[in-house]
Amino acid sequence: MSLVLVVDDEPPIRRALRTSLEAHGWDVASVGTGVEGVVQAAEIAPDLLLLDLGLPDMDGTEVIRRVRAFSQMPVIVLSVRDGQRDKIAALDAGADDYVTKPFAMEELLARARAALRRAQSEEPAPAVMQFGGLRVDLARRLVSRDGEQVHLTPTEYGLLEALVTNPGKLLTHQWLLRKVWGQGYGTETTYLRTYVRALRKKLGDDAQAPGLIITEPGIGYRWIGELTS
Amino acid sequence: MNRSGQEPEAQARGITARGLTIGVIAPIAAAVGSIPLSTGGPASAIALFMLAIVIAAVAGGLWSGLVAAALSSLAVPMLFSAPRFTLRFDGAEDVVTAVVFLAVAIVVGLLVGGASDERARAARREREARLLGYLSSKLLSGDVPDRVLDDFASVLLDPFGLVRCEITVELDGQQLHAFASRPEIEAGGPQAILPLVVGAIAFGTVMVERPAGLRAFTPDELLLLEAAAKQAAAALDRARLDARARMAQLDAETNQLRAAMFSSVTHDLRTPLTSIKAGVTSLLDPTVHYEAEQERELLTTILEETDRLNRLVGNILDLSKIRAGALIPTRQTAAIDEITEAVVARLAPRLPRVRIRTKLREDIPEVQVDPMQIDQVLTNLIENASRHSPTGGEIQVSLATFRNRVQIRVTDQGPGIPPEERDRVFEPFYRARTTPETPGSGLGLAIVKAIVVAHGGRIWVEGAPGGGAALVVEIPEEEDAAE
Repeated sequence: MSLVLVVDDEPPIRRALRTSLEAHGWDVASVGTGVEGVVQAAEIAPDLLLLDLGLPDMDGTEVIRRVRAFSQMPVIVLSVRDGQRDKIAALDAGADDYVTKPFAMEELLARARAALRRAQSEEPAPAVMQFGGLRVDLARRLVSRDGEQVHLTPTEYGLLEALVTNPGKLLTHQWLLRKVWGQGYGTETTYLRTYVRALRKKLGDDAQAPGLIITEPGIGYRWIGELTS
Repeated sequence: MNRSGQEPEAQARGITARGLTIGVIAPIAAAVGSIPLSTGGPASAIALFMLAIVIAAVAGGLWSGLVAAALSSLAVPMLFSAPRFTLRFDGAEDVVTAVVFLAVAIVVGLLVGGASDERARAARREREARLLGYLSSKLLSGDVPDRVLDDFASVLLDPFGLVRCEITVELDGQQLHAFASRPEIEAGGPQAILPLVVGAIAFGTVMVERPAGLRAFTPDELLLLEAAAKQAAAALDRARLDARARMAQLDAETNQLRAAMFSSVTHDLRTPLTSIKAGVTSLLDPTVHYEAEQERELLTTILEETDRLNRLVGNILDLSKIRAGALIPTRQTAAIDEITEAVVARLAPRLPRVRIRTKLREDIPEVQVDPMQIDQVLTNLIENASRHSPTGGEIQVSLATFRNRVQIRVTDQGPGIPPEERDRVFEPFYRARTTPETPGSGLGLAIVKAIVVAHGGRIWVEGAPGGGAALVVEIPEEEDAAE
């Protein structure tokens, strides 16, 4: 059974989360402050951290930074709709994902499962990934669509690799630019946009009804391709 | 009164180098001119000297005329009484001539001086009127007070020969400071401080300073400066009253909005809460057993009403942000077509009652906008269109560029908006008369408009072919390209 640590200062939210998560088979620990959150994260080493960004004692981003100092445990941020900038800051500080309050439990559970899967399958990413008709061979750096080879430029391939190896995770503009273009990049969203567009076209994905890449305006992109084997 | 030499009235007052020269040259010219007449007796020569005195008095003023008269009185006996060319002054005849000459000089000099005094006064009055007129046009321009004061300070420099002009004003608790100077000229001359007063209200002071070594301000100049200061004070008073009036209007609008908000919020918050509470208490009732389908129905209602409540709270938050002036876009390079696609991808599954069709041109340029706010603009426009659409209706979202502006057009197939209501749909809590039962907080379009305006853009309503409504948004490509 997986252990989740909930850090939220509102008791009703902690209670609702505990009830639902336990019903879905999680072990739940919960605290109400950022300081306790960091301490508990170190002591009980949970498999997942659910972190409210609006804590009374400490900035949520600071909690993430402190946790990241000793652990790579997946962190999902709970944030109000208005906190877009906080979300980006949290993601850039090392959060894996965010869910906007108020959220539907099924959405939170889906994000939690995806984060857990990523964390557990971290080391040996499969050399060949199949998403329906799309096949990505990470070892040979080959991509094919319905059996036909897709010719990608090195940058397009780098972008695809960054996406498929972080399935379900919201990747910020800054993270993608640094990962694919290099450390000196971070604000050149125009490049990123151009390459995402080209990639979508070559992979046959429709931005208005996406099956592979979702755009989060002003934040980044998310790979939603379902692995089929 | 003692003004500098180039001013016209000076010729009537005191003796100047120019007056002295004229007073000396005129009788010499008369003497030279009279030499051919000397044999004919003094009569015609005296007429000639008289002419010289008059000319000197007219051209050089009283003192010039007196000098000419004195010299002429000496010259006449010298030239016409034997022995000639000797300086003598005896005989009643010479005395009479001298007295007549001096009398002519005095009469003409005073007359001319009076006339030129009058002329100078008129010219000064005209200059003063022009200056005050110019000042009042500057002051009444309706510009922001501190800019007006800066203008005012610099306008005063030239006519008063100032090296520095400093205005300190307190207007409704706000300190204003205006300053004009000629740094190239050495300061340290005479100063004057004038109050800015209207009625019993003192706004502050004007401090003026002349260059080092220059003469002090004359009473006339001080009067004129005071008049100018009075005008400035009147303009400040007007600005103060304008600000008061604007505040009062804003207050009235805010109060009106608050009242509308209060009644709407009370109603809109209570309605979903009522449904939620009814649903939950039903489900918790131990005496009733619900079929799975009934239970699901109740739960669905609770979920929908929760979402509605959440939207309403979000809208109220946005609206209060707008009112507080806190809706400031965080601009970054973004592509509106990409945002549109993301919004359509997100909304299409949530709005199964309608079809969303996009017409995005390939050449939409990137823009400097707040992507999340533009996301909200598109979301609200599409949700609004869907609320007014018939089941199965089509919502068209099209993007085009038009003279450095990106145009977003969201068209529905609903009942449309009558022309007389088209401006009002952007008012908070406004609901279309044609569809008063449509769910919605009446805030969505008000928020859209506020965001668009914050981006320097425009929004308006058009009729769509076929009777629906088209909401059109124009966003400038660059922040400063706004009209």
